[in-house]
Amino acid sequence: MPDLFVRRPRSGRSAAPPAAPAGGGRAIASGWRLLPALLRPRRRPLAAAAAWSLVEAVPALLSGLLVATALDRGFLAGRPGAGLAWLGLLGFTMLFRAAAMRMMFPCLAAVVEPLRDDLVRALVAATVTRAAGGAVPDPAAVTRLTEQVETVRNLVSALLRSARTLGTSLLAALGGLLILSPLVAAAVAVPVAAALAVFARLLPVLLARQRALILADEDLTARATPILGGLRDIAACGARAQAQAEVESAVAAQAAAIRALAWAGTSRRLVVTLGAHLPLMGLLIAARPLIQTGRLSPGEVVGAAAYLVTGLDPAMRMFVGVAGSWGVTLTVILDRLAETVTVPARTPPGPPAPALRDGAGCAVLPDAATSGRPLSGRPLSGYRLEAEGLSFAYASRAAPVVHGLDLTVAEGDHLAVVGPSGVGKSTLSMLLTGLQPPTGGRIRLGDLPLEAIPEHRLRTVMALVPQESYVFAGTLGENLAYLCPSDPRTAARRVWEAVDAVGARALVERLGGLDAAIEEPAALSAGERQLITLARAYASPARVVVLDEATCHLDPAAELRAETAFAAREGTLIVIAHRISSAGRARRVLVMDGAATLTGSHRELLARSPVYAELVGHWRDDGAADGPSPRRLTAGT
Amino acid sequence: MPDPVPDPPRERATRKHGDRLLASLARGARAPLAVVAAATIASSGAVLALPAVLASAVDEALTGRGARSAAVGLVLVLVLTACAEIAGMVAGAAATASATASVRVRLTAHLLSLDIAETRRSPTGELVNRLVSNTATAGSVPVTLVGISTGLVTSAGGVVALFVIDWRTGLTFVAGAPAAVVLIRLFVARVSGLYDDYQGAQGRLAARLTDALAGIRTVRASGSADREIARILAPLPELSGSGHALWRAQARSVWKIALLLPLIEVAVLAAAGLGVADGRLEAGQLLAVAGYAALGLSFVDQTDALMALAHSRSAARRICEVLCLPVPSAGTRPPAEGPGALSFRGVTVVREGTASVDGVDLEVPAGSLTAVVGRSGAGKSTLALLAGRLTDPDRGEVLLDGRPLREIDPDALRGAVAYAFERPMLLGGDLAAAVSYGLPAVDREAVREAARAAYVDDVIGRLPEGYDTPAATAPLSGGELQRLGLARALVRRARLTVLDDATSGLDTATEAQVNRTLLEGMRGCTRLVVAHRAATAARADLVVWMEDGRIRARGTHRGLWRDPAYRALFASGGEAFPQDQEEPCPTCS
Repeated sequence: MPDLFVRRPRSGRSAAPPAAPAGGGRAIASGWRLLPALLRPRRRPLAAAAAWSLVEAVPALLSGLLVATALDRGFLAGRPGAGLAWLGLLGFTMLFRAAAMRMMFPCLAAVVEPLRDDLVRALVAATVTRAAGGAVPDPAAVTRLTEQVETVRNLVSALLRSARTLGTSLLAALGGLLILSPLVAAAVAVPVAAALAVFARLLPVLLARQRALILADEDLTARATPILGGLRDIAACGARAQAQAEVESAVAAQAAAIRALAWAGTSRRLVVTLGAHLPLMGLLIAARPLIQTGRLSPGEVVGAAAYLVTGLDPAMRMFVGVAGSWGVTLTVILDRLAETVTVPARTPPGPPAPALRDGAGCAVLPDAATSGRPLSGRPLSGYRLEAEGLSFAYASRAAPVVHGLDLTVAEGDHLAVVGPSGVGKSTLSMLLTGLQPPTGGRIRLGDLPLEAIPEHRLRTVMALVPQESYVFAGTLGENLAYLCPSDPRTAARRVWEAVDAVGARALVERLGGLDAAIEEPAALSAGERQLITLARAYASPARVVVLDEATCHLDPAAELRAETAFAAREGTLIVIAHRISSAGRARRVLVMDGAATLTGSHRELLARSPVYAELVGHWRDDGAADGPSPRRLTAGT
Repeated sequence: MPDPVPDPPRERATRKHGDRLLASLARGARAPLAVVAAATIASSGAVLALPAVLASAVDEALTGRGARSAAVGLVLVLVLTACAEIAGMVAGAAATASATASVRVRLTAHLLSLDIAETRRSPTGELVNRLVSNTATAGSVPVTLVGISTGLVTSAGGVVALFVIDWRTGLTFVAGAPAAVVLIRLFVARVSGLYDDYQGAQGRLAARLTDALAGIRTVRASGSADREIARILAPLPELSGSGHALWRAQARSVWKIALLLPLIEVAVLAAAGLGVADGRLEAGQLLAVAGYAALGLSFVDQTDALMALAHSRSAARRICEVLCLPVPSAGTRPPAEGPGALSFRGVTVVREGTASVDGVDLEVPAGSLTAVVGRSGAGKSTLALLAGRLTDPDRGEVLLDGRPLREIDPDALRGAVAYAFERPMLLGGDLAAAVSYGLPAVDREAVREAARAAYVDDVIGRLPEGYDTPAATAPLSGGELQRLGLARALVRRARLTVLDDATSGLDTATEAQVNRTLLEGMRGCTRLVVAHRAATAARADLVVWMEDGRIRARGTHRGLWRDPAYRALFASGGEAFPQDQEEPCPTCS
């Protein structure tokens, strides 16, 4: 029966994050631990599918018998009617087969679809959790992950469908041989065992080559993406030849990986020769002496040859094909997926993300208790933010971004942070909100060190609005109430207050109110998205709000309105300033200049800090052709 | 991925080009393909011959007659099959690999030499998908085609054999086959519609994940990762629903096909059985009929391959959409000797039906700092692209020191014109390589010098690995990226440097520093600067004011400032002009 129903998986085209090291041997372990964890909850439909596939095998078992009977008792016996009747019986058994097939599909669906759902859940949870833990997310990996899950789905259903044929045909051939002649069966078992042993030795090579091919595919994508994204820059730099050479080397490596895999695959064919054809030759050579010594009858020779050719040969082919190609691909991909769903120790806040259930001993998400923060703690006494000897550097030999900063921000204070771009203002915002652990010094909120505050509590008390605003597909109301407590009535009131306060009412009305759906967030302008995220932060219960250049896409008047609203809001406001005008509005100003810092009021700093005076001066005296010496700003770094 | 619906004639044209591309791929890999074809024919022949050879070998072994010639024949057949199959596997992989690689190399070369304006119409992800995925699909076509044609020939051979044995069996087969074809076509049509739904749900889920990853800083700061996970997974039930619908559709169709095909075999057997009863056929021939009927039905095996072929044709079409875009002709002359005077003569560029640059005549004096100002959409960036021939005008001519850019050798032109962009893409590996990208001979000292001039040297010093930090993962802000892009332009020491909004991400203090480099450090070089800020225009020797693709006015900043419309250009930035000072802030005057 032609197997057109199995949507044949395309050979290892999908891929995963390029970070993982290559290595064939290791690949088997984690990948194969994931599969049982995925299949275990599906034991019942698996068993049902197996049972139906046995029913499906009935006509194949009976066909030879029925055809022979139709000949002997019907057509050859001069009774064509009886012959037709026997053949009709064969046709009738086909009904069983078709019915069994019909019944088997829902079972397969009940195995494969939930398996895909679990994988998708685990992958999304792991990807978001890892990115929320501070790892740089790779958007291209997302696409590759979807492809991989799909490949696993196709391969598992293909394997389930062919496993029956695989098992029954190999067992039928060997079993039939054993019944026919134990001597021949014993003689055949030796080369078959040898062939299987050789195949087992070859598997690691196949796994390594398959893995190398997947890595080569990933490498090609990873190298081509920046080049195709930077065509303008390549043309402007006159680097066409260099870019072409880079893509070509990745293309050539991928082609070489395809060829290498094919060469390794030829060994599968040799296993068939060893396991099925060698016994046949042996049988034919030994047949004459065996018949002469009376150990074997001519009929047994014919029968044994038939089993070897029509039973063992296709079974061996199928075995090495399924195990050596689909099995290898599935193993390698499962391994890459297992790497992805295993999240490193630093994990996020909140309750454990949905992971693979019932995955004891398999690669699953560790629970949130490993994040290093307590799950409950002493209540906060006030919201005074205090940094002491705060330092941060990306690496031990890199110049520090923040060095020995002492800073106290009283509850309800309004602080602006100014300084040349690239001086580390954004890093400071991450340190103060506890999103980035410092390399030196410590930060306290109220009386508690940041790390002693439960993650959930800290995230509720602190709101950081970054420069790139996150507006997601959903209703406008969902977007605005993102940080609100869950009671919908108070949330709606808070949201409308916030919308009015930050000056977003016109925008909300233009979009069609809180229930308006935002289908495509990118269709909003950058300024509109910033207004939404500002209103969202305003409506939140946060007592410390950090605006990290969160108004950079607003015009000065809108920026003034939003900042004034936040200043009047209950709680502390820290503004990482994009325009120097933000500093003028603040009660206190922190000037960052390299690793040197200075705090004071606007007036004090104008007198005390030449850097600050210069920043203000440039803004104020923007058109002047002769500014003060530019080198002074970077002095000390 | 849904294609935009192109107009029918154009679609027909690209389809024709797509098929031509596939044919050229097959021609390019003809040596390994010939091996594949020969191997397939040899192994099919061996499969057909095996029963006969085996039978006589067994006979020989049983009777002891003959000099084991049949056994030798069997060994030969088995060895031949093994060799043919191995050769087919290796040659097939080689054919696919070389066809894929050749179309990838071709597509890359084409993309790299296209007019920049053409490539910007497709998002990067689209282009990557064409280069990586579509090419792989198209590259597998030649081998698939060989497989399909030998499969169909074998199938036809089976039918012919049925007719030869007994025309009645052949006729019975032919009577049943159309029903099978109809069922299969119905099945394919039904499943492919559902498959689109499935992929749609998949796409929505992936889009939500991509969105969430883009806004991950907010998610992190809000501690809302688990809520995000739930939100991303919202389309999962829909995906699962489409998946189950696919299975149901398969269950509905497949059992009918699974019933019909064996019934055809049984009917053919019945016809043969009647033949045996009539004495027209031998009993052994009934088995042959069974074998050939199965062979005849093996065309069903090609359904998958035919479906894949339809998929491949659309992949080839998507590749051709890129390959059909015209490549601008490359000049051959060196740039004229000169100080870097740039001339636009009657230059018009039409984009999407409207003129984004419309009949511009402009002389940019050698060694000058010329600022181009105007509202967004006025044609400033197109003018900047024209200056170094990153795009070609539809009408008119751009000349550097009197020589049309079209006539100048592209590589030589890159030595004469350098660019810095608003959002530079850093390529080449680490930061040092990114600055000297395209200039292999530049040493580290020159790179550092350029970085210092762009005020980015100390920023790089704070990074984990300094200049060896990989550009792709370096934690850089927009302003820092712009300064690296500036350093990349400065290291070229070109006679003309074009800066397209290349300092917009800098705060005013840093911009003032960078302006100093533009003003003093680059004195003597021609600088064409697209700017939004009054500060930049104020320092320019010449200001060109663009509006709707035309030059509305040109002159000095001071001269133009009298025009309120000109002043309005800079009002939104909240910046002031010296003679028109505003208070810096409401609280401190």
